[in-house]
Amino acid sequence: MGRAKLGRVSRYLLVTLGAAVMLFPFAWAVITSLTPGDAVLAVPPDFTPDGAGLDAYRKLMETLPFWRILLNSVWIGVASTVLQLLTSAMAAYAFARLPFPGRGALFSVYLATLMMPLPVLVVPLFIEMRTLGLVDTYFALLAPTIASAFGVFLLRQAINQVPKEFDEAAVLDGAGHFRIFLYIVLPLIRPALATFAIFGFMASWNSYLWPLIIIKSPEFMTLPLGLATLHGQFTTEWDVVMAGSVISVVPILILYVFAQKHVIASVAQTGLK
Amino acid sequence: MTSPQTTTAPKTAVRAAPAKPVSPRRGGKWRYAGTVAVFLLPSAIPLMLYTIIPMLGSLWTSLHEWDLITDMHWVGLGNYAELLSDPQTLTAFGNTLYFIAGYLPLVYAGGLGLALLLNRAMRGRSLLRGIYFLPVITSWVVVALMWKWLLNPASGLVNWALGLVGISGPGWWTDPDWAMPSVILASAWKDLGFVMVILLAGLQAIPKEYQEAALVDGASAWQRFRRITLPLLSPSTFFVVVISLINGFQVFDQVRIMAGGNAQVVVTQIYDLTFRYGRAGMASALSWLLFAFVLIVTAVQIRAQRRWVTYG
Amino acid sequence: MSRKIMTTLVATALLATACSQGSATKAPTGEGGKTTLRYFTFSAAPDHVKDLDAITAAFEKANPTIDVVVETAPYDQYFTKLQTSIAGGTAPDTFELNYENFVTYAGGGSLLDLGTVAGDGDSSAYAAESLNSFKHDGKQYALPASFSTVVLFYNKDLFEKAGIEPPTADWTWADEQAAAEKLTDKKAKVYGDYQPVQFFEFYKTLKQTGGEFLAADGKKSAFNSPAGVKAATWLVSKVGKTMPTEAEIGGTADYDTNLFKSGKLAMWHNGIWQFAGLKDVPFEWDVVVEPGDSAKASAVFHNAVAASATTKNGKAAYAWAKFLSSSDVAANTRIASSWELPPVSDQQLLAGYLKDPKPANRQAVFDSLKSIALPPVIKRQQEMQDAVTKELTEAAAGRKSVDEALKSAAAKVDALLG
Repeated sequence: MGRAKLGRVSRYLLVTLGAAVMLFPFAWAVITSLTPGDAVLAVPPDFTPDGAGLDAYRKLMETLPFWRILLNSVWIGVASTVLQLLTSAMAAYAFARLPFPGRGALFSVYLATLMMPLPVLVVPLFIEMRTLGLVDTYFALLAPTIASAFGVFLLRQAINQVPKEFDEAAVLDGAGHFRIFLYIVLPLIRPALATFAIFGFMASWNSYLWPLIIIKSPEFMTLPLGLATLHGQFTTEWDVVMAGSVISVVPILILYVFAQKHVIASVAQTGLK
Repeated sequence: MTSPQTTTAPKTAVRAAPAKPVSPRRGGKWRYAGTVAVFLLPSAIPLMLYTIIPMLGSLWTSLHEWDLITDMHWVGLGNYAELLSDPQTLTAFGNTLYFIAGYLPLVYAGGLGLALLLNRAMRGRSLLRGIYFLPVITSWVVVALMWKWLLNPASGLVNWALGLVGISGPGWWTDPDWAMPSVILASAWKDLGFVMVILLAGLQAIPKEYQEAALVDGASAWQRFRRITLPLLSPSTFFVVVISLINGFQVFDQVRIMAGGNAQVVVTQIYDLTFRYGRAGMASALSWLLFAFVLIVTAVQIRAQRRWVTYG
Repeated sequence: MSRKIMTTLVATALLATACSQGSATKAPTGEGGKTTLRYFTFSAAPDHVKDLDAITAAFEKANPTIDVVVETAPYDQYFTKLQTSIAGGTAPDTFELNYENFVTYAGGGSLLDLGTVAGDGDSSAYAAESLNSFKHDGKQYALPASFSTVVLFYNKDLFEKAGIEPPTADWTWADEQAAAEKLTDKKAKVYGDYQPVQFFEFYKTLKQTGGEFLAADGKKSAFNSPAGVKAATWLVSKVGKTMPTEAEIGGTADYDTNLFKSGKLAMWHNGIWQFAGLKDVPFEWDVVVEPGDSAKASAVFHNAVAASATTKNGKAAYAWAKFLSSSDVAANTRIASSWELPPVSDQQLLAGYLKDPKPANRQAVFDSLKSIALPPVIKRQQEMQDAVTKELTEAAAGRKSVDEALKSAAAKVDALLG
C-alpha cells in the first residue's frame, strides 16, 4: 500500500518535472515574442521583461499578408493529410493483407523513396515540374505530399498487429476486400491513423525547401516561407520571428490534442481491447 | 464515422476465429492482381512521379559535373571516384554514424519510458502528452537557439549544474569534439515525443486481456513487461528503429543550425555541395552513396525482424 | 464508394500532370500589351519592401507598358532559389547579385550582356569605379545598385567615462588596441572591441597591413606571409582579451548588435546598414574610418542588378536595372531610408546623406571610399570563404596556432585555384 503510493507520487513527480523541461523552450519562445525588440535574447533570459505586449504579433500581421499565408498553409496541410491518409492506408492494406508476387520487393521500393536526401531531389523535381508547366502552382506544392512511404510503413505495421482472424472471418461471411478495409481494418487502426494524421499534417505544415523553390508568387506563400522572410540579411527582429513560431505551433497542437482524444475515445468506444 | 458494423463485425469475428482460414492460393498467384492494383496505384503513381523520377534524375546528375547555372559535363564515375578518395567523405559518414549511435538508444529508451508512464490512467494525462509533444512541433530555429543557450559553455544552465557537482563542463557546440554530443542531446530531447506517440499507439493496440490473464497467473510487473508488452510492441519498435535510422542518416537541420561549421554530416555536405559550392553532380553522387548505405542497413533490419518482431 | 474515390484520385493526378503542359510557355506579355518583368531580390525584405515598392511605382509610372513583379527571398536561401530557377530554365528577368558572386554568374554565361540592349545608354550617372566592378571580359553584365562600407562604430559615452579621446581617422591598430584594453571591464561585462574573425575581416586587415590575398596572376594564394600572420594575429588576439570569446557569445543571435545597443561595447567594426537600427539607443555614438596599420583600407559591399541571359524582355530589363540603380527616385529613396547608398556620381544627390544628424560624422562613410579593399574573387568563392573562416576560427579558439591555421588555409585555397 505504502509502496504503491510512493510509486505513484514519484511517477507524478518524474512526469511533471520532465514536462517542465519540455515546456521550457516553448515558454521561452512565448515570452520572447511578448518582449519588445532590444530586450530580447538577454543572457540569462529575462522572464519578467518590462513593456511586454503584443507588438510583435501586430507587426507580424502588418509585415506579412498573414491571413492569406495561414489560409494557404491550412488548406494545403489538410488536403495533403487527407490524401496521404487515403493513399497510405490503401497501400498499407495491400502490403499487409493481399498476397501478390514481389510484394516484399515492392515494399522495399516504397521504403527506398525515404532514403534519398531532399536537397538533391528538389532540383530534378523542379525541372520536372517546369517540364510539366506546374511551377508556381498549388498543385506543385501539394504533389510531393500526395503519397507517403512513411505512412504506408506506419499503417502496415498497425494492420499487421490486427489479428488476421478478424478479416478472415469476414471473408467467410462473404465480405470483399473493400468492405474489410473500410469496415474492419480502418476502425481497428484508428490510433495509428490519428498518429499519422498528425505527422502527415506536420510534414506539409513545416515543409520549407520545396515551397521555397517552387513558389514565386506571394499569393501561394506558406507559413514557413513567410516566417523566413522575417530574417534580414544583417539583422533579425527576433520578437517577430518568435511570434510567428508560436503561432505556427498552435494549429498542430490543436490537431494533436484532438487526435489524442479521438484515439482514446475510439479505443474506449469499440470496447474491443 | 463509426458504422454499425464496426462494433458488431469484430465480435462475430472473435467467435468465428477458430474457423478454417481461407486459402490464399485459390485462383493462382495473380488472383488479387486487380484488387492490388486499385489499392496500390493511388500511392504508387505519385511516388513514381514525384520521388522516383527525381531520384533517377539525380542519378543522371551524379555522372556529371554541374554547377546548376551552366551546362552539364559528362564525367562518368568521376564524382564517385573523387568522393571515395576524399577524406571529408569519411568524416561526414563517421559523424553521421556517431549521431545515430548516440541518438537512437537515447530517443528510444526515453520515448518508451514516457509511453509506458503516460499509458497508465493518471490525472492530466492528455495535457502531459500534449506537453511532451510540444518540442516535436516547435521549429528547429527556436529549439536550437534554446539549446545553444542551455549548453552555453560560459553561462549555460547545464555547465552551471555540472559546476555544482564539481565538474567543469565542456565547450559543447563551440568545440568540434563536443558539437556532435550537443546535437545528439538536443535531437533526442526534441524527438522523444515522436517516439512516445508511435509507441503509445502501439501500446493501445495490445489487448488488455493479455495483461489481465498474466496478472491472474501471478506474473510480476517486470515479467509482464518482458513477456507481453515488449513482444507485442515489437512492430512499433521495429517501425521506430527503421524510421529513426532512415531519418538519422539524413540528419541536417539541427546540425546546420546548432553546430554550424563545427560538425559536418553527410547531408550538410550534400546541401553545401549543391547550393553553395556549385557541385550538384558531386552532391548527387554522395547522395547515392548514402542511399546505398541506408538501403543495406534497412535490408539487414528487415531480414532480422523475423527473429524478434511478433505480429498479431 | 471507395472505388469511385480512388478512380477520381488517380484520374486527377494524371490529368493534372498531363493537361497543364504549356502554361509555363505562355507569353510574357500580359493583358493590354503590358510587359511583365520579374525582379528577384535579397536586400529588400523585410525592412525595405516599402522602399522598393516606391521605386517600382515610380518606374511603372514612367514606363506604363512595363509591369514589375517583385519576388523576395531571405539572403541565406536566395542563391539556392536563384540557381534552381536558372537550372530549370525559369530564371527571373532581372535579379540582384553581390560583387562576390558576380564573377561566377557572369563567367557562367547566365547574364545578359547589357551592352546589347542598352542602345546609346548613358552611364555617366554612375560612379565609374562601381560601374567597372561589374564588367567581365570587357562587357557590362550588371549595373551597380547599391553599396555599403564598413566603419568603426564607437560608444561616445564609454570613451568619455574612461577619459579616453575618441577615435579619429588617424588611428592605427595600436591606438585601437590601447583604447580597447582600457575600455574593457570584464566585471561589468563591458568589452572594448568587436571584430568578427572571418574571411571578410581578414582580407581587409591584410590590406591594412600591406599584404595581398592572392598573387598578382590570381593563380595562387599569397596570404600565408608575414603580413598575413600579422593580420590574422591582430584579429585573433582580440578574442578573449578585449572581445568576448565564442563560448561567451554562446550562439546568442545578433549578439554584437545587442551588446552595442545595450551600451556595453565601446568599439564595433560593422557596416553602415546598422545606422537605422541605432537611431533610438540611449547613448551617444558616432563612426569613424577604420584604423589601419601601415595603410588604410575599408571594405565595400556592392550589390548590382543583372538580367538573365534567357529573358525575352532585354530592353525592359535594362530600363528597370538602370532606373533601380541610378534614377533620382531610387537614389533619394535609398538615402532617405538609409538603405545602403546609391552608386551615383552626382555629389548633390549624395549630399542629402550627410544631412541626417545621426551619426554626426557621416562624412566618414565617404572618406572610407578613398581607399577601399574589394574582396578577392575566385570561381569557387564560397568554398574559399568557408575554408578561410574555418581556419581562422580554429586559431581564435586556440586549437591551432595562427601559423598553422594560415598554412592550412593557404593549402585549401591553392587547391581551389588549381
